[in-house]
Amino acid sequence: MKLTRFLLPALLALFTVTNPARAGEELNLFGWSEYIPQGVLDGFTKETGIKVNFETYASNEELLSKLVAGGGSYDLIQPSDYTAEVMIRQKLLSPLDLAQLPNLKNLAPEFRHLDHDPDGRYTVPYMSGTVGIVVNTERVKTPIKGYRDVFTPAFKDRIVVLADPRELVTWAMFTEKLPINHVTPESLARVRPVVAEWVKLIKVFDSDSPKTALLNGDVDVGVVWSGEAAILWNENRKFQYILPAEGVPQFVDVLAIPATAQNKAAAHQLINYLLRPDVSRQISAAFPYTNPNAEARKLLTPEQLANPASYPPGHPKLTTFHDIGKAAADIDRLVTDLKSAR
Amino acid sequence: MKSAPDRRTPRWRAWLLLTPMIAWLVLFVVAPTAILLVYSFCERDEVGRVVFTFSLENYRRVFDPIYLRIFARSVGYAGLTTVICILAGYPVAYCIGRAREEWRHRLLLLLMVPCWTSFLIRTYAWITILKEEGLLNGLIRLVAPTATGFDLMYTPTAVVIGLVYAYLPFMILPIYGSVEKLDGALIEAAHDLGAGPLRVFSSVIIPLTLPGIAAGTLLVFVPAVGMFAITDLMGGARVPLIGNVIQNQFLVARDWPFGAALGAVFMGLFALTYWILLRLGAREEDPA
Repeated sequence: MKLTRFLLPALLALFTVTNPARAGEELNLFGWSEYIPQGVLDGFTKETGIKVNFETYASNEELLSKLVAGGGSYDLIQPSDYTAEVMIRQKLLSPLDLAQLPNLKNLAPEFRHLDHDPDGRYTVPYMSGTVGIVVNTERVKTPIKGYRDVFTPAFKDRIVVLADPRELVTWAMFTEKLPINHVTPESLARVRPVVAEWVKLIKVFDSDSPKTALLNGDVDVGVVWSGEAAILWNENRKFQYILPAEGVPQFVDVLAIPATAQNKAAAHQLINYLLRPDVSRQISAAFPYTNPNAEARKLLTPEQLANPASYPPGHPKLTTFHDIGKAAADIDRLVTDLKSAR
Repeated sequence: MKSAPDRRTPRWRAWLLLTPMIAWLVLFVVAPTAILLVYSFCERDEVGRVVFTFSLENYRRVFDPIYLRIFARSVGYAGLTTVICILAGYPVAYCIGRAREEWRHRLLLLLMVPCWTSFLIRTYAWITILKEEGLLNGLIRLVAPTATGFDLMYTPTAVVIGLVYAYLPFMILPIYGSVEKLDGALIEAAHDLGAGPLRVFSSVIIPLTLPGIAAGTLLVFVPAVGMFAITDLMGGARVPLIGNVIQNQFLVARDWPFGAALGAVFMGLFALTYWILLRLGAREEDPA
């Protein structure tokens, strides 16, 4: 406590000296936990003098609820594609001034006009990834191909999954061959017994850092974000990443400026900075998701590009989420219900 | 000339002195509670904004068996935590309270020092101890290489360990307060009148320190019922407690009105329990 009280003014003083022009300017960034390296933000502050206040969340729902509650004024946010879709429809986002974002040209063309924002007027892709299965091959010798192989009694209390009701229900829908973006009371009734069985087998629900339980040896398999899987693979090659046979959820997390943002100019500056290949490369080094930045990918090491969790070989069929409106509440209720029933 | 009772009625100066406290209560207790009550009768829209249409649906849902079971489970966990805190905390508080004057403060300081570290960091430290390849099992394997060790992490036992650890000081401190004030002469008198150590403890020491135990029970039980961080971190978020469900309504499900209804019922239950306890206490003091 004392240390920070002493250090903060010292740091502030330092920045004021190096950047007298923009001193005092601030930017409120609201992003995912474990996604933006602090070093990258420090680099931005050093170059521009703009102080970044960084707050984090662990789910799109948390972001959305804080944004509509009007608590805090955020200048830059980082929703996933399907959440950005609702935000655009609800007029919660401010259109971007593309002239201020020359680095947009660095993005790979396949990430330029995505379904949630066909004109690319509101969002800029930050990182992309999949949700898949991680297996500790030292402990698990049976072949794992899909969700059905994970959620078996053999792995009771050896499984970690994302604490995300939508994901859990979507995996069950994949195994039942139901459309994941068309959630009806009937389809929920179909997956209910499946999810009920699964919930009994799961040991840990964790969206922030599901790798921890795997690294600690508390579980042997997991259904997690690809970036977490990539970190595990870098840590130890015994952690293998498998794209589930029944269906693979893909997400693209984007940068966007809320309609209520106070400092839109600085927000544009930060987006443009994050799109710079040398900066984007640092992000990939810390959080090895799939980098949509083609120029930055050229700077990655062959080893980084060979990480099967970050850049899955071949051309797997991926499915993105779309907004499902009020059905999201039904999903949450179903999962709460089944968790409590144990 | 002014009469004596007149002087006892508070005048404007007294009210002035009370203003900060009243303002505090209105701002941070009355107003939030009122908002909570209003929200609990509302509905939500597509993105989770509160819509002001009157509805009793939220309360109907609270009394759904799922949520009643979660309530009961939370009370069970908190109750067990409180009992363990009393059993573990009482001897500690007693020893500190009866220690020599110059030692007491040092011992109390030892109790406080861990609290200077963030609560979350201390919880993560427990994960390091309890995880399968953690300190506890490492120690066991060192002593007995063939032992399998405990599988504690992400179990209800881990949650109770976390809760007891977090709230133990809140039990020890009030009991310590009572023990410190304990009149040694009364204990000696009991001995002189022929009471054995067990009798002295149960008929003299326990009743005299009861206010401390009661205060400690409230300080441990109430926050333990609503705790959600420990169940998430040490219980693996597997079995929701009422704190998790409420937090979930606000941050994940974006159903503030339902979360508010849960909170309101939760508060009502506490008010009721507290009122019953007060009534019982009053009856004990005045059997007529």
